[in-house]
Amino acid sequence: MTEQAIGRRTDDTPSSRSAQGGTAAASAPSPRPLSPEAFADLAQAIEGEVKRVIVGQDELVRQTLICLIANGHALLEGVPGLGKTLLVRTISDVIDCSFNRIQFTPDLMPADILGTNILAEDEGGTRRFRFQPGPIFANLILADEINRATPKTQSALLEAMQEQQVSVARHRYPLEPPFFVLATQNPLEMEGTYPLPEAQLDRFLFKLWVPFPTEETLVTIIERTTGADQPRAGNVASAGEIVEMQRLARSVPIAAHVTAYAVSVLAATHPDGPRAPRLVKEYVRYGGSPRGAQALVLAGKINALLSGRFNVSVDDIRAVALPALRHRVIRNFEGEAEGITPDAIVRATLDAVVPATVD
Amino acid sequence: MTLDPSLRHLHAGLRPFRRRLWSRRVVRHGSLVLAILAVAELVLALFARVVPLEWHAITAATLVLVAAMALLLDGVRVRPTLAEAALALDREQALSDRLSTALEIAHRAPGLALGDTGDGGDPASARYRRDDGASLDHPASPGGGDRLVRLQRADALRALGNADPRALGPRFHRRPLSVAGLALVLLIPAVLLPNPQNDVLAQRQRTREEAQRQAARLDETARRLGEGRTAPDPRADVAEELRKLVRDLRDRPDDLASQLARLGSLEDALRARLDPGNEQRASAVTSLARSLSRVASGTDSNPSADPARTNQDLGQLAGRLDSLSREQKRELAEDLAKLETMARQAGPEVQKALQDAARSLGRGDADAAGDALGRLGEALERAQRDVGIQRDLGRAASDLQAARRDLAGGQRRDQGQGQGQGQGQGQGQGQGQGQGQGQGQGQGQGQGQGQGQGQGQGQGQGGGSLGGGGSNARFLGSGNSAGGFGGGSGANRQFGTGKLDTVYADFERLGKPGDPSYISGSGGGGQTQQGRGTGQGANNDALVPYTDVLPDFQDFAITSLDRSYVPLDVKDYVRDYFSSLDP
Repeated sequence: MTEQAIGRRTDDTPSSRSAQGGTAAASAPSPRPLSPEAFADLAQAIEGEVKRVIVGQDELVRQTLICLIANGHALLEGVPGLGKTLLVRTISDVIDCSFNRIQFTPDLMPADILGTNILAEDEGGTRRFRFQPGPIFANLILADEINRATPKTQSALLEAMQEQQVSVARHRYPLEPPFFVLATQNPLEMEGTYPLPEAQLDRFLFKLWVPFPTEETLVTIIERTTGADQPRAGNVASAGEIVEMQRLARSVPIAAHVTAYAVSVLAATHPDGPRAPRLVKEYVRYGGSPRGAQALVLAGKINALLSGRFNVSVDDIRAVALPALRHRVIRNFEGEAEGITPDAIVRATLDAVVPATVD
Repeated sequence: MTLDPSLRHLHAGLRPFRRRLWSRRVVRHGSLVLAILAVAELVLALFARVVPLEWHAITAATLVLVAAMALLLDGVRVRPTLAEAALALDREQALSDRLSTALEIAHRAPGLALGDTGDGGDPASARYRRDDGASLDHPASPGGGDRLVRLQRADALRALGNADPRALGPRFHRRPLSVAGLALVLLIPAVLLPNPQNDVLAQRQRTREEAQRQAARLDETARRLGEGRTAPDPRADVAEELRKLVRDLRDRPDDLASQLARLGSLEDALRARLDPGNEQRASAVTSLARSLSRVASGTDSNPSADPARTNQDLGQLAGRLDSLSREQKRELAEDLAKLETMARQAGPEVQKALQDAARSLGRGDADAAGDALGRLGEALERAQRDVGIQRDLGRAASDLQAARRDLAGGQRRDQGQGQGQGQGQGQGQGQGQGQGQGQGQGQGQGQGQGQGQGQGQGQGQGGGSLGGGGSNARFLGSGNSAGGFGGGSGANRQFGTGKLDTVYADFERLGKPGDPSYISGSGGGGQTQQGRGTGQGANNDALVPYTDVLPDFQDFAITSLDRSYVPLDVKDYVRDYFSSLDP
């Protein structure tokens, strides 16, 4: 990624904010209009290429793809060695876009991520401050072991993830779409880590659990990775096509009762919600934020498109509920002490909220 | 602008499913209604077996009617919309909300529900096809929301075409149908088995009818009592009270206790006004009138003992006093003096006038005697009027008592009759038995073994009759006790008493269940039947000249008449009988 590509500085004024506002897709280049069918073809191609490298993690791949098309970010959690980093690298290979990896460590500073102004001398010998972009300025960011950085550094990602821009020294630098952060964290080694704050977690569209592969899958992985020829994913999509996919996904129609169902599911994660199940009432401190409902609907739209449909169904909402809500449900002390997992709470919520039906 | 063809096809394709969904709802709600109805009918039937329900049949029919109406109204109310049918079909056929979304989007954005808008969308692609193998037309135009909506609609149409046409059919819910079936099974015996409450209801109906009959009777009594009479006459007041009672009886025939209480209250009030010695007085007045007429005219000119005629005779006598000799006046005074006993019974006014007349005649004071005789005639007429009032009041009291008795005994009449038949065979309790006892004891007297009094337990009138007979052993001895236990109706006539037979023939005042004066007889009558009257009483030395015993008989009979509830015509009959025997 060149400096010109990332160094579009804007003044921090209301007018400039308005011009830069909206989705990243609004300012993204549009190579060609994308039909729904082309969307499906493209998604299928991306998924297929990724699966050539990532074995046995079909659901993880699908959910990561949903995250990418939804213009959201994903937090991958899993023990070391399950291919989290490989997944992100493969995606960057499949999509023709820039990729940066940031290894989060306790001594990592915000400027190390965002960039900083440095004093530089131009051709005329004039010394001026020039913004030196950090690794955040890329289309795909792998925030590896994000919970090892200090909260100060973690929070440096907040604006970038939500607003898709970086503010440094009273200047805003928009990030080029698509902007996709894939963060990983290790649930085992908690020593010296800094759990992500709720505000930071809420910025992630999905929290994905990377499961340990089955024995059959392991055999395939061993065969592929220890041979002479290692599979490599081909480039099947451009950044512009990803942006077009993001735009199209938002146009998927959704019926009012499906939207209402998504809202009801979210409301049921709150202990004082009218439909909150017993598990929520007893073990949840705070339920999901409105971003949770947005995530349900948006991810549901993409799930529908990927399933070959042009409408969101209740089943789509249910399919994405776990990754969309599990990191937004804050358990209370009893919940943590009892070992009640967020997944159990979300499942109980899904069981408690009955979709609208007619009989 | 026309509706998008695919949307039209969607609507048309959904209509059969809407009808099926409608029928499903009707069946489901019908099952519930049937279950509720069956349970309600069962509860009603069981309740009707515990509590007498006047409107059981009507209530049961009303429940059915209400259930039918509820089902009808509910059937109209639950008619589903196309959107509901779409949603139901989505769920049942797992169509992933395709149909409901298509309809909802068309409803939300009417512009998208119209036909081809020139955006490149091809309505022809929305053909109603059962196979989904055909590919859709993919224009190169940007895939905006409109395009996605039309594609979604076509997708929904395809899904609808592949839906099972038997979907959304009626479902029979096991629980309500089981409940309904069980309730109906229990309902059959609950309805068909004899219901003891039906007897109670029939009894109530009879009570109401009896109340109406008694109201008519009392109305007639009131009319008779108050006809042509005004305020100072106590009969007018009583007639008005009776009319109120009749109105109340007709308005509230079911309120038996209250009606009986009112009847009893009025009867008590009437009886409080009655002079117990009225019949004695009436007898005295009659006898006195006849005697005075005989004294005044010298002939039996007044056999009917009319006080007016007596007054007239006395007036004529007063006019002839001046022409009578002193001796004739003295004899006349003596004759009048002999009548003082009767005059005393006829009333103090009569007695005083008679005494004055006798004294004046004894003194030979014709003027004073004439004046006294005039007063005597008028007093006699007033006494006769008072007697009439007392009789009318007594008749009204008797009617009230009869009405009360019939009202109270109406519901037990059938039961009493049944027992009477059983008693005819020498067993059982009640009326027939009581009469049978009375009879049996009468026979015992005929054999000289009776006590003479107190027979006919609980039947005052019967007791009186038998008591009289008990002292007349010869008379009783000639009786035939055969069939004494045979039946209640003939029990009091078995003595062969000639006129007395007719006297008591129509008298059914003997104790009946429910009668205040009724005391049920006790068992054992069967043994008394063995003691048949064989006529041994003919050797009894109790035969004496009737003139010696007639006053006692007369006093006893009149006292009995006054003390007992005897119809006035019977009283008159008895009184006239004794009057005719008067030597």
